[in-house]
Amino acid sequence: MAPQPSGAGSNKPRKRKRHVRSYSLQLPSKPFPLASFIHPFRSSSMQRLVLPTVLTTAFIFRWAVTYGPYSGEHTPPMFGDFEAQRHWMEITIHLPISRWYWYDLQWWGLDYPPLTAYHSWLCGIIGSIVDKSWFALDDSRGYESYNQRVFMRATVAVSDYLIYIPSIVIFTKWYSRTTGTDKYDRYIGLAILLASPGLIIIDYGHFQFNSVMLGLAILSFASFLADRLLWGSLLFVMALCFKQMGLYYAPAVFAYLLGLCVSFGSGGGDEEGMNGGLNIAGLVKIDVQTLVLLGITVISTFGIIVAPFVVFHGAERGALEQLGQMVHRVFPFARGLWEDKVANFWCATNIVFKYREKLSTASLQKISLAMTILAILPFCLLLFLRPKKRLLPWGVAGCAWGFFLFSFQVHEKSVLLPMVAMTLVVAGGVDRDLLSWIGWANNVAMFSMWPLLRREGLGLQYTVLTALWSWLLSLHELPSSIFAKALHVGFYAGAIALHGAELSIKGGVVDRFPDIWVVGNVILCFGAFVAMYLWCLYRMADEAGLLDEMMLQQPAGEVEKERLKKVE
Amino acid sequence: MDSEHPTFNQCLVLATALKLLLIPAYRSTDFEVHRNWLAITHSLHPSKWYLEDTSEWTLDYPPFFAVFEWVLSQFAQFFDTGMLQVKNLNYGSMETIYFQRLSVIVSELVLILSLRRFINIQASPQSKKVANIISLSLLLSPAFLIIDHIHFQYNGMMFGILIFSLTDALTDNLLRSGILFAILLCFKHIYLYIAPAYFAYLLRKYCLGENLFDIQIVNCIKLGSAIVSIFGVAFGYFAAIGQIPQLLSRLFPFSRGLCHAYWAPNAWALYAFLDRVLIHIAPRLNLSVDSASLGSATRGLVGDTSFAVLPNIPPRVTFLLTLAVQIVCLVKIFLQPNPSKFIGSVTLCGFASFMFGWHVHEKAILLPLVPFSLLALQDRRYLGAFRPLAVAGHISLFPLVFKAAEFPIKTAYTILWIMVFFMAFDTVVPVAKSQRVFLLDRFEIVYMTVGVPLILYTEIFHFAIFGSRLEFLPLMFTSAYCALGILGSFLGFFVLYLTG
Repeated sequence: MAPQPSGAGSNKPRKRKRHVRSYSLQLPSKPFPLASFIHPFRSSSMQRLVLPTVLTTAFIFRWAVTYGPYSGEHTPPMFGDFEAQRHWMEITIHLPISRWYWYDLQWWGLDYPPLTAYHSWLCGIIGSIVDKSWFALDDSRGYESYNQRVFMRATVAVSDYLIYIPSIVIFTKWYSRTTGTDKYDRYIGLAILLASPGLIIIDYGHFQFNSVMLGLAILSFASFLADRLLWGSLLFVMALCFKQMGLYYAPAVFAYLLGLCVSFGSGGGDEEGMNGGLNIAGLVKIDVQTLVLLGITVISTFGIIVAPFVVFHGAERGALEQLGQMVHRVFPFARGLWEDKVANFWCATNIVFKYREKLSTASLQKISLAMTILAILPFCLLLFLRPKKRLLPWGVAGCAWGFFLFSFQVHEKSVLLPMVAMTLVVAGGVDRDLLSWIGWANNVAMFSMWPLLRREGLGLQYTVLTALWSWLLSLHELPSSIFAKALHVGFYAGAIALHGAELSIKGGVVDRFPDIWVVGNVILCFGAFVAMYLWCLYRMADEAGLLDEMMLQQPAGEVEKERLKKVE
Repeated sequence: MDSEHPTFNQCLVLATALKLLLIPAYRSTDFEVHRNWLAITHSLHPSKWYLEDTSEWTLDYPPFFAVFEWVLSQFAQFFDTGMLQVKNLNYGSMETIYFQRLSVIVSELVLILSLRRFINIQASPQSKKVANIISLSLLLSPAFLIIDHIHFQYNGMMFGILIFSLTDALTDNLLRSGILFAILLCFKHIYLYIAPAYFAYLLRKYCLGENLFDIQIVNCIKLGSAIVSIFGVAFGYFAAIGQIPQLLSRLFPFSRGLCHAYWAPNAWALYAFLDRVLIHIAPRLNLSVDSASLGSATRGLVGDTSFAVLPNIPPRVTFLLTLAVQIVCLVKIFLQPNPSKFIGSVTLCGFASFMFGWHVHEKAILLPLVPFSLLALQDRRYLGAFRPLAVAGHISLFPLVFKAAEFPIKTAYTILWIMVFFMAFDTVVPVAKSQRVFLLDRFEIVYMTVGVPLILYTEIFHFAIFGSRLEFLPLMFTSAYCALGILGSFLGFFVLYLTG
């Protein structure tokens, strides 16, 4: 594996034993149904149809999910997330900007960052053109009608297709370029991302706009892959300003960017843009220019987005008070360690150790912060020390798992963040192992949201989407390692047993412990999520070449770099 | 078959997943119609089936379908007995919806099996490939999705029986073909429209030999006794208790008007459209306008249609026109009795009855559409004639599912189907052996381009501009547009059939 002269090995990457992740060489191609559906588009005459077809099919299934109930449908007095989103459209179009974060906070007060508020404003304005009564101030609370429902569903679909879908198309393009994946595999990756059930059922079923935040974040990752660091950081700040949950990704993104600007040692550093850099004792080189530009981009993007609140702070309150209220609403630290049952460390181990009874909220916050930092540290360090494009989604996913497992105030829906980030790696080509793990991760995430989905009456959509996903990826085929096999089979058996028991057992034990199914769900999913966290770490270390180094006792870094240069 | 990707079964799984997700979608009054039939057949003695009239949706299908409903009701009682009460009008519990929707999905198995058989009877790998694409196009047809899985009917099962019968005819298994068709008629009498083609073909091919006077007595007896006994089983009981007149009055309600509520896109829709246009220019042409009927065809009620300027059409005329077209193709099939011509004649009989029939439903477009699909890939000329029908036939079904929530799905699905299958058809269809007779190519492109703005107008812009006023306008445009396409397709195919 010595470095080759540059002209010689254009097909070199294929020959490496690791990472030959292409099915397109196999004819006929039928490793799993999803690939089979993309198969007809391999011929050049059909290729221009692949995107329209895949995107339209994805749309049909997404829209078909909207026939199910939404969160809080016909359930006064408080309704649910649907009403929250509708209410924000209502207040943003009727009230001056200075009152958005203050108005009657008991009724679904705005608690998302400003970009969500602007988005709500836009949707509200358009909706009001169709029918004013949908968003009449105060009078429209809990308003539900057929046309309004269709309109609201359409806002989700339009936002999704304007932001999330283009962003994953662009991401798959750049990531497949980074990893040297061919077109067929790239479209398979895109189709896998589109078929991923979690985001569909939460946005189109439960009703939220997660796809906007995720879309902006993924678009920023794509920009990083395309070497457009400033655009990427701008988009990432926008993602954060749409939904604070984007913070799950932030440390990884920060570490990656910092890693690009800082390099160690004399040889082998990333040469690009290093000419005017700061050199400390010949050991550390810092690209000050890029660093400063990144800082300016981030701060000014934040500034522009919150500026309206500062400028139009209103007569009764100052600008600082406005910003303080925004931060206070967006980060509700006053609330407890968790609200609903969620499959993270705190909720799962709470069964044995009652945290909230034995420790104060303040000390719990500190402990949880420390544990989160510890959990995300390996991923951030890896990205910082080896800021390679192909590692980006792994690092981001692992970081998000760390947050999900250990941080404060986690919701069950937050599992979408690590899950979507983790699923992104399929754009770099898939093999059976990767497919089984990613498929499994999505299934676990769906199962972990089951208590919520059941409550909202989305059982049909849950069943169909999960079954379809499992079938499309042939998830009955397990990964090769015996340990992973046992893990997957164990989880599936547990999940099916829990579903079966919940359906068939009534009364008795259930009356005494009404939460028994949810607790079972939490324990099972927590175990699976920890496994996923570790798997991400393992795979990332593998991709980074660390495992090779350890086993072969030779630096694979240079080989890898040579290889990637050729590919790119 | 193994090299075909995606496989038939894979498409089937994907389509079924979509159909399951559509369970909570809009359903028309036909849902209540079938629920009522479940209740009637389950709770009443057969002698009361065709007398019961608590609901306005009385049982108006032939006895086999009633028995089918009875069989379903045996399973329905495990879901919810509420749906089996005749008095529970508009009953729609969650269990009822799931049961009825699932019954449609399961009964479609007949269509699936028939399509599989259609693939299996093909001899060469090339024709298997073609048959595979045709079967997929039917399995995934937007027509079945809209009519059966959203609007609610059991066409998948009915057309499955028809395709079984047609494949039997293709393999010269004529006795079984005839028997299956007789059974089909006892399920749903709309197939009477294509019965003349069956009659002519079976008579010529099965009952007569090479020579017209060489009568195959044994075959005649076999076929005759089979058909008589099938009808005997179906109608015998009702004949015995003297209910045949009552039954017939239910099956053939002649009191309805020329055009159905939504104006099925046939010749009469064009005629009515012309009439509407003439109202506005009649004064300049010194034509008399019958002011009493100005609002008639626009009100969209199931009732009599009368025209303001053009002469009214009596049922007799529609009957004679249909018969005239049918006789032409019957003569042809009598002279050239081969299986492909037979399917052509079935298609044309369906076309004729759709184009000129009395009180035609837009759903009846399936009658020409399904058999024509089986022939569409014979060569480029057939495909050229088929495409306008495929476009217009599907668009004409849009008004059936008129609610806003289903607009995205019906349009996206139809566009996807047209995109994928027109491309797939193009890759496998053989070049025509002779010159094209009909200049359909140009017509086709213009026609399809016009379709896009039309759908946007009828489904979105009209309501944005006029609100709920002039409600008939989009329907009229859709009908006239689709009628034009179907007429073009009909004429193109007619020429191909007669000259080929």
